[in-house]
Amino acid sequence: MRKPFARADLVTAAALLAFAAAVLEEAWRMPRFTETGGDVFTAPGIVPGFYAVVIGLLALALAVRALGDGALRRGPAEPDPEATPQSLRRMFMAAGLGLVFIVGLVGAMPFWLAATLYIAAFIIVFEWRPGLSAAARARTLIAPVVIGLATGFAVTVVFEKIFLVQLP
Amino acid sequence: MLGQALWGFASPTIAVYVLAATLIGIVVGALPGLTATMGVALMTTLTYTMEHNHAILVLICVYVGAIYGGSRSAILLNIPGTPASACSTLDGFPLARQGLAGRAMGISTSGSWLGTLFGTLCVAVLTPVLGDWALSFGSYEFFWIAVFGIVIAGTLSGGDPLKGYIAGFLGLFVATIGQETNHAYPRFAYGSVDLAGGIGLLPALVGAFGVAEVLLVMQGPAFRVVSAKVDSVIPRIGDVLRYWRTILRSGAIGTFIGVMPGLGEDIAAWTSYAAAKRGSKEKEKFGKGSVEGLMSAETGESACVPGAIIPVLSLAVPGSAPAAVLLAAMLIHGMQPGPMIMVNSPTFVYEVVAMLIIADMAKLFYGLTLVRPLLWILLVPRERLMPVVFVLCTVGAYAITSRVFDIYVMLGFGFLGYVLRQLKFPMAPLILGLVLGELLDKNLLRGLSLSGGDPTPFFTRPISAVLATLTIGSFLWSIPAFRNPIKAFVARTMRLPEISPSR
Repeated sequence: MRKPFARADLVTAAALLAFAAAVLEEAWRMPRFTETGGDVFTAPGIVPGFYAVVIGLLALALAVRALGDGALRRGPAEPDPEATPQSLRRMFMAAGLGLVFIVGLVGAMPFWLAATLYIAAFIIVFEWRPGLSAAARARTLIAPVVIGLATGFAVTVVFEKIFLVQLP
Repeated sequence: MLGQALWGFASPTIAVYVLAATLIGIVVGALPGLTATMGVALMTTLTYTMEHNHAILVLICVYVGAIYGGSRSAILLNIPGTPASACSTLDGFPLARQGLAGRAMGISTSGSWLGTLFGTLCVAVLTPVLGDWALSFGSYEFFWIAVFGIVIAGTLSGGDPLKGYIAGFLGLFVATIGQETNHAYPRFAYGSVDLAGGIGLLPALVGAFGVAEVLLVMQGPAFRVVSAKVDSVIPRIGDVLRYWRTILRSGAIGTFIGVMPGLGEDIAAWTSYAAAKRGSKEKEKFGKGSVEGLMSAETGESACVPGAIIPVLSLAVPGSAPAAVLLAAMLIHGMQPGPMIMVNSPTFVYEVVAMLIIADMAKLFYGLTLVRPLLWILLVPRERLMPVVFVLCTVGAYAITSRVFDIYVMLGFGFLGYVLRQLKFPMAPLILGLVLGELLDKNLLRGLSLSGGDPTPFFTRPISAVLATLTIGSFLWSIPAFRNPIKAFVARTMRLPEISPSR
């Protein structure tokens, strides 16, 4: 059987090799400042070039090891107990809500309102269960809004009034 | 000087700071998914406008409190609140299941208090010595210190050394983004003013630890408290007297691990635990509710906190991930830790010693009193806690420089941190790479310039040679094809049972 992560390691190694090659190429193209009397050993590309070479070599080692672990072998790999479809769905929902908060809400409205909307939506999305009674449904909707408002106001007051940071 | 430093902190305002910060640290540490690194990173943004020594005091209180707080959830939930307290679950949770949760917390409190005290004594004694020694370091030595940090963190930070090295060099690469120091050339900026300004350490840390942890907590299973009933948490003097050797040994191990760049409290706890088990007369009790086992893990991890601050002060190299944030905070507040600290601001070292003593006392106070409220906090569902943490991360990333770009950096590092963890890449070397990037960059180029491009001084100067040997030796030792024949040879020579080859 293929060792766990063998295939993922091979893909990661390929991505890292491409990344290292791109960094090396970019480092090589950086100016050396020798024409203005600069020491060649202070050229901006030396250090990133050095890192690119090391990352490339380490990625090669990772690829060789992954191949040895059966990355290209057919058949099922040992399952990852941490990543069930349900747990991944929860993670993607959390990531999606975070993305909407930062890209869509922050900066488009006062910060306290953005924070309230985000927190309330997050809690409702994760706590809402079908078939709740009317009272439970009201609690599921009101509590998140209260938590969101409290957090939004507290964060805004602490940062804007006490630490004098103008929030986005 | 220590007395003066302690007296300098004697004011009601500072007492409020200390109590609030330690409490925040304990709560952050106790909540599974929130780590000491994230707590210290978030509090750095909150202490930005404070006087420098007040801000550092608050951060040290959060750090000390968080490492201790992790044991609460380890004992009550069987889930380590921070990675450092994973070892405490082995004996803490079995004790709680036997109805001895209070006693387990008492052992944790006494072990942790004594561990931090031991490490703090070492800060007072070792920092000036190490600082004096570091005065003889040049560019070649500092280059090797940085590389050694990455290699040792990659080798020992848990899991796969190869992935650790890759993470470390990725961190070093990220540190090259933005204007470099010699010609002010904006590397990898592609015309963006924001990228030319570089990747801020704090937004990256908040992302890698805060946002990634929010995603991982939401992905993981829900946690549940084993028991709402707790017996007395007052530490028993008999436990301390009976296991004094274990406490001293674990304190020394924890402090030593702390001094090593990038290793941190989790390695300190596991190493102390393993050493205690080897030296114990009650080996069979380990893993089943051993008082000695829990004491060793708690003492080791807590001694590591001051230990990790020793290289921060004397070399400007962090001993752990939270210490990396502490180093960044010191730089933000205009302090200049490093070899010159005993020359430029010798009182600061003793102020830090005083801060650690104060934080340790506050931790003891909460250890004896804060039991039931912490149980309530542990009962807050993650669905309600995590969005609040995410909002705090967003504000924390933004507050230092008021750049919206930093929020995107946080988000990017959050997703990167999540993906890397899913692929089993350790995070400590990545963070260490980010912190040590400038040190390595500057000293590699300076060293090459001084020698006219000749690399031999990197290997021939006495201290450089030792550091190079240690670094290359640690790297080679992590390669099974190199390590296993040597182990087999040693086993044959010593007539020990052969150790089976492992990755």
